[in-house]
Amino acid sequence: MANQLLRGDGRTHIESRLMRESLQDRQVLSGTESERDVQIFPDVSLVSIGGQSIFDRGKDAILPLVDELAVVKRRHKIVIGVGGGTRVRHTVSIAMDLGLPTGGIAQLVGAMEELNAILLNALLAPHGSMPMQRDHFWDLPLYFDAGITPIAISVPPFHFWEPPPLDGAVPMHGSDFGMFQLAEVLGMKQLIFVKDEDGLYDRDPKRHANAKKYDQIALADLIANPPEENILDEEMYRTWAEAKNLKRVVIVNGLKPGQLTRALDGENVGTVITK
Amino acid sequence: MSERRTIDSALAGATLTGASVSSIDYRPVAVMPDVRVVKIGGQSVMDRGRAALFPILDEIIEAKKQGVQVVVLVGGGTRARHIYAIASELEMPTGVIATLGKYIPMQNARMLQMLLAKHGGVFILPDDFEKLPLYLSLGCIPVMSGMPPFGYWEKHEEGSRIPPHRTDAGVFLSCEFLGARRAIFIKDEDGLYTDDPKKNPQATHIPRITAKELVARNLPDVVVERVVVEYLPRARWCKELQVVNGMKRGQVLAALQGQDVGSIISA
Repeated sequence: MANQLLRGDGRTHIESRLMRESLQDRQVLSGTESERDVQIFPDVSLVSIGGQSIFDRGKDAILPLVDELAVVKRRHKIVIGVGGGTRVRHTVSIAMDLGLPTGGIAQLVGAMEELNAILLNALLAPHGSMPMQRDHFWDLPLYFDAGITPIAISVPPFHFWEPPPLDGAVPMHGSDFGMFQLAEVLGMKQLIFVKDEDGLYDRDPKRHANAKKYDQIALADLIANPPEENILDEEMYRTWAEAKNLKRVVIVNGLKPGQLTRALDGENVGTVITK
Repeated sequence: MSERRTIDSALAGATLTGASVSSIDYRPVAVMPDVRVVKIGGQSVMDRGRAALFPILDEIIEAKKQGVQVVVLVGGGTRARHIYAIASELEMPTGVIATLGKYIPMQNARMLQMLLAKHGGVFILPDDFEKLPLYLSLGCIPVMSGMPPFGYWEKHEEGSRIPPHRTDAGVFLSCEFLGARRAIFIKDEDGLYTDDPKKNPQATHIPRITAKELVARNLPDVVVERVVVEYLPRARWCKELQVVNGMKRGQVLAALQGQDVGSIISA
């Protein structure tokens, strides 16, 4: 069936289901929807390494984790994402004091994550790793075949186009959202956040001795009863609720050797959030 | 185990989302408030070809000669719809569809650059905003794709595979970053109607409406992308969307001069 070029109303259309239609029309939009999305890399896990929680602690926290990654990367296909930590917070606080627009702040923060990506890569490169350019996902099969683990930065490339936040001026789309979206759009197996706590608690365990850890919790329950202080961004949960692919997010303690490996092996360690 | 080594700042201990950051006295500065960002529609203008486009470009060139700083963004149109339709059938994730959606407005921007070259048209990429002061002071007309650079990071929206942030959103967000008060959209209708005037002859024109009133009307169809109407009330700079008819002589120039023509949606 050849595509037709249609004229007659002054515009030249290519015949398609969306031809002449308004892409704002809800009925037209629903015609594009189905229950599932193609899963592009279903056997890959995304491992997000915390900026404040791991990198900002320096050598004592980073080196054991590198040792663990060097071993476990031989058995699992993983993409590593890194956060920027305290330097991101410093950047944002200065930028806000200067009155820079939200999109300008969003443009700045990725550089602080790149520093951690370079550090991690310098340590992991002898075991096979490479920094991955923004959206060079189609190189992933090549990376995995060659035994190379790609290291990505976490913040999404919204840059100057960061939408106005629901509240305040700090960009809403931060690292946790960026990591989630990467795992979601590529249809990955799971997203593992490596932090400095054993998982997600009902309140901040650093300040409350009686804080209770969730071993497993459903996303819907987490949204209905959010913890007092959340270690992951709200926007990530909101986006996950509307998404189709990702079924499993795990939060593990990167200061305890073996936790990440167990999560990659599919064990329920730390906190497992399911959908 | 070593402690976290934090840099002392107002946000040092904070999670970076929510109201916890209100301790900073945020007084925003406008980056380039005098710039006029104008979008040329893909389906509504580009797909009509020369007959529709050339008179619009004449008015943009005239506005520039009068000293208006114009930045031109452009939409996709029927080729975007075609790839969206096929990609949807293949059940591609929204982020993949948004990535595919970048290419067509890019083609259109290149076409516009070729046509505007002798009048100072320069093709710019999303990250070239930092060079706008140079281009504008040289008397150039920067031209770029209206598609935001979200690509694979575009969120899925309930009930649709189509990326919610397309070229209208890109125009609005560009204005908001630059600190421009009004985003101008050139389409092939007089602006906002009670229904799609191409399909319903009973549809009537709305010259001025607030975003809130527009949302309250819950129209099955609106003239600009819904996310833009949603963002407008919380914008800091871009408080108005102006939709003008590029098929009527003089409307584009009038809008670039700051006149209230077409429909205006305000925050």
